[in-house]
Amino acid sequence: MAKKPVSPEALHKVIMVGSGGVGKSALTLQFMYDEFVENYEPTKADSYRKEVVLDGEEVQIDILDTAGQEDYAAIRDNYFRSGEGFLCVFSITEDESFQAIQEFREQILRVKNDENIPFLLVGNKGDLQDRRKVSYAEAQGRAQQWGVPYVETSAKTRENVDKVFFDLTREIRSRKMEDTKTSNGGGKDKSKRKKLKCIIL
Amino acid sequence: MAPAPVVNGISPKEGPPGTRVTIRGQHLGKTPNDLIGLTICGSDCLLSAEWKSPNKVIARSGPGKGRGEIIVVTGSGGIGTSLVQFRGYHETIGPLKESAVWVEEASLNTLTWGHRSLSPSSYQLEDPLGLSVEENEKKFPEEDLHELFPECSGDLSSENFEPGWFLLEHHHATSFDDLRVGLSFLRRKVEGQKEGQISFLKSNIGSVMEQLDTLFILKEKFEADLKARDIDPTIKVEKAIEESISEAEKLFHDVLARREKADATRNALNVMQRFKFLFYLPGSIERNVKKGEIDVVINDYDRALNLFGKTDVAVFKKVLAEVELKISELREMLWKKLEDMSIGLDQQKKTIRNLVNLEIADDPGWKAITVHSNFLNEQLIACKTEHLKAESADMDGSSKHLDSHHKHKHKRAASGTYNVELLNRTPQPVLCVEELTEILSQRFPDLWKLGQSYFSGEFQIKIDPGRPQEFKGIVLSIISLVCTLLRSALLPHTVDKNQQWPQHHKTSDSVSTWLPHCLRYIRAAYSTLIALDLPSDALNIFSSLVFDLRLHCMSTLLCQAAEQIKTLGLKENWQIEFDQNGGITQLPSMFENLVAEVMQLVKDSVIIAEQRETPLLDNPAAKKDLNRLVLKLLLNFVEALDNLGLTNEDGDHTLGVSQLIGSSSQSRDKDSFGAVYEQKLLCTLSNCRHTRLTIFPRFINLFERHGFPRLSEPFEEAEMAFKHLEKRILDTYIEQKSDPLVGTIEPSMYIGNFDWDTCLPPTDIRPYAKEIIFSNIITVHSEVYKVIPSLVYPVISQIVEIVAEELSRLMSCVTKFSIAGNQQARIDIMAIQQTLQHFSTKNAVLYFNEALETIPPLDDPFDLKVVDEVLKKFTARNKLQLKCFNNPS
Repeated sequence: MAKKPVSPEALHKVIMVGSGGVGKSALTLQFMYDEFVENYEPTKADSYRKEVVLDGEEVQIDILDTAGQEDYAAIRDNYFRSGEGFLCVFSITEDESFQAIQEFREQILRVKNDENIPFLLVGNKGDLQDRRKVSYAEAQGRAQQWGVPYVETSAKTRENVDKVFFDLTREIRSRKMEDTKTSNGGGKDKSKRKKLKCIIL
Repeated sequence: MAPAPVVNGISPKEGPPGTRVTIRGQHLGKTPNDLIGLTICGSDCLLSAEWKSPNKVIARSGPGKGRGEIIVVTGSGGIGTSLVQFRGYHETIGPLKESAVWVEEASLNTLTWGHRSLSPSSYQLEDPLGLSVEENEKKFPEEDLHELFPECSGDLSSENFEPGWFLLEHHHATSFDDLRVGLSFLRRKVEGQKEGQISFLKSNIGSVMEQLDTLFILKEKFEADLKARDIDPTIKVEKAIEESISEAEKLFHDVLARREKADATRNALNVMQRFKFLFYLPGSIERNVKKGEIDVVINDYDRALNLFGKTDVAVFKKVLAEVELKISELREMLWKKLEDMSIGLDQQKKTIRNLVNLEIADDPGWKAITVHSNFLNEQLIACKTEHLKAESADMDGSSKHLDSHHKHKHKRAASGTYNVELLNRTPQPVLCVEELTEILSQRFPDLWKLGQSYFSGEFQIKIDPGRPQEFKGIVLSIISLVCTLLRSALLPHTVDKNQQWPQHHKTSDSVSTWLPHCLRYIRAAYSTLIALDLPSDALNIFSSLVFDLRLHCMSTLLCQAAEQIKTLGLKENWQIEFDQNGGITQLPSMFENLVAEVMQLVKDSVIIAEQRETPLLDNPAAKKDLNRLVLKLLLNFVEALDNLGLTNEDGDHTLGVSQLIGSSSQSRDKDSFGAVYEQKLLCTLSNCRHTRLTIFPRFINLFERHGFPRLSEPFEEAEMAFKHLEKRILDTYIEQKSDPLVGTIEPSMYIGNFDWDTCLPPTDIRPYAKEIIFSNIITVHSEVYKVIPSLVYPVISQIVEIVAEELSRLMSCVTKFSIAGNQQARIDIMAIQQTLQHFSTKNAVLYFNEALETIPPLDDPFDLKVVDEVLKKFTARNKLQLKCFNNPS
């Protein structure tokens, strides 16, 4: 127990964000266990880990399924800090959830302080086309404005569920590879240099 | 051994002791008993573990604190590993923490004030190294720290403080130089504190000594004082303090009271503000109910229950009670709404869902189903009663208004060509059937869909185990009710007496013409039912109705046709149409058309099996029925022909054949405007033959084309009947022809007191022989030949035989021949024999020879020569007339 476990596999931390009831947990459980949970039970914060083979490399995806409810807004900052990639989920059947993503995006950018953090906009409940409130074009437009991909999923039919997780993980991995390159090659990054000035006394 | 358990999911990932945790992973035990160990953060939680599946276990977290593994032990797989961690923490309720329980803020404040100084947060504001942590956004992962420094802590005030942890936690991104500067800062600070004390003492030594001296003096004085007065001075001081306290209290009592009051008011206001949601709830519920936004109400109610359901605060309880009242009113209202059938299925489903969400005690889904089924039952029965009433009104003939109303409503005409004499209004049973099927296909799908939703758990109602059976019973009873009602209207013979449509005897005829029409309606309803995917039990009830109806329809159609055929004979006009096979009247073609028509109709409406119908004729009873009916159809025609041919309505048929006697002139006149009896006989005979030989094969062809099974039996039987009839007609015809003919031979032979003994030498054959040949046999020949050429031989030969017999009889009666008489007799008989030799049967030849033998032989060759000459003359003279006998076929 005292020994540090050897984990040769890369670990990528994905965070599910979005308003309450849009299907974050449903997507996660579908991805993890191939099951679709019908009844709704608000999440507080759930943690999952899955080992997958991504482009021939075994990686672990750590999923933090956060609470969508406004009640938990205050503790989100803490969670966001540890995330390396974000699945920002809204329901295509609920316009409010689509409007809410703007706030999530801003909060993530503020906490991570990084415009290019791996981020995927996900329109869930794609099986309920007849109750659609948010048009594909509208969502696509928002995603383009942010410079992120937009994917429509259905946790019920498992449509695009694997795709969003794999796409995001791929993005995170390529980001990490870039980062190691720059940090190995070009010395310390900017934020560290700034810190020198902050010494008091 | 099974694979070791792996935990890779935890929900939620943190929480205070007692949190309900869903643990997911693989191989978490094959059965509940296989799960033999579960620790969360080091505390054993097996007791609370609830095994759901090999992939899911639910447990409550123990008192373990901090991050820790979830270890599952199974009997089959051993000790497992955990990819995720749970963090236990002890929750303290502070001013920023939302709580479902009312927290007394006053006591909380003093509590926090008392401990605040020790709370780590104030420490962390100051960094002991004097370095800023503001920019240090990237945190070192906490779990790694746990792994690096087990049993340690980064808390400065902690007993097991580990500097490495602290540095990694707060300064893992700080450069080495910075850290060095920080260290020197820390040292300086420590040094500063140490040095500060000593130098302070040094510089102030004088005053320190002075203070010490003063303290000694004070001590001495105090002791002296004690000795002198011997009283504890503190008592006095205590008194004074108490006095001052009471004074102060007096002074501030009012102020404090006012403050307390203000605080209370503020508290109350705060409460109001904080929980205004609850206080507004009764009002908003009412408003939303009025607006019809039940969903909102349910949502609010749930939220209120979640937040305040377990409250101990009296005010909340009161408001909640009010809310409960409103909700129960709403429940009642919705419950009533369920009974309203005018709202659509969707609306009803929504109401059910709402009721379920309102946690009603009863089962709204089931209630809706019952209401639905009762409504349906009532409607069906009401429909029948209404039509019964209308019918009895119709029967009285007093309700012209209703009549016209219905005529207006149902202007469509019934199908088929059988409705020539159709009543111009639709009979009530048919209207009733139309309405019943309409009700069924409109209402029943709703009920069924409701049931489907109910049992598929769409309403999330716990379903009683007996319910599916009961529902099935309801569905079956409705279907069978509909079937019984339909049967009572259309198929009265298949239901009990008391179920029957009354006065049926009057309406049955009119109903029967509408049967195909009704069948279409019922089939439409049936296909709706099929589309609903009903259980086959229910469908079978209906399909048996459809089957019976088809059968009934078929037999009715065929019976009608048979009846019509029976009366076909009345339409005979005896106009003969000739073709290469002889002559027939229009009767056979009428018969053929009728049969073809009815078969087309039967095929269209009955035989063709629609969705989920068995081919009617696969049923042996139905097939038998069909056979019987077709046979009846055919036999009826036989009967009609029989009636036509063999009924001698003219009465007098002693048709004179002999013009020599002249008794027939009267009847000949009579026949000038119609066919004579013999001709009718011939026509009928010809019709029979035509039907049997030409139309029957066509029928068989037709039936085969229409998909009927082989109907050889009835056809064979009918053919037999036809043959029999033909023979009878033929016999009658021959009898009819030969009787008078034979009867006239004798009178004609002896006309004018002729005597074979006293006759003149012969010059020609005698008139009676001519009459036999020319007027009689040639007439018959021509008559038959005209109508049925193929019958010429059998008819003529029969007649010839009879004639020959008669001749032989007459000859044997002659007592004496003169030479001339002898010659004459020979000439006559031989002329007849020769003329008719092609039509002579063995018997006829025998008879002729017999006749010749009775005549005494002529010895004189001269006499014989006379005979030959006369005969030659005769054949030469009548060559033309006799030609028709040359070719018997």
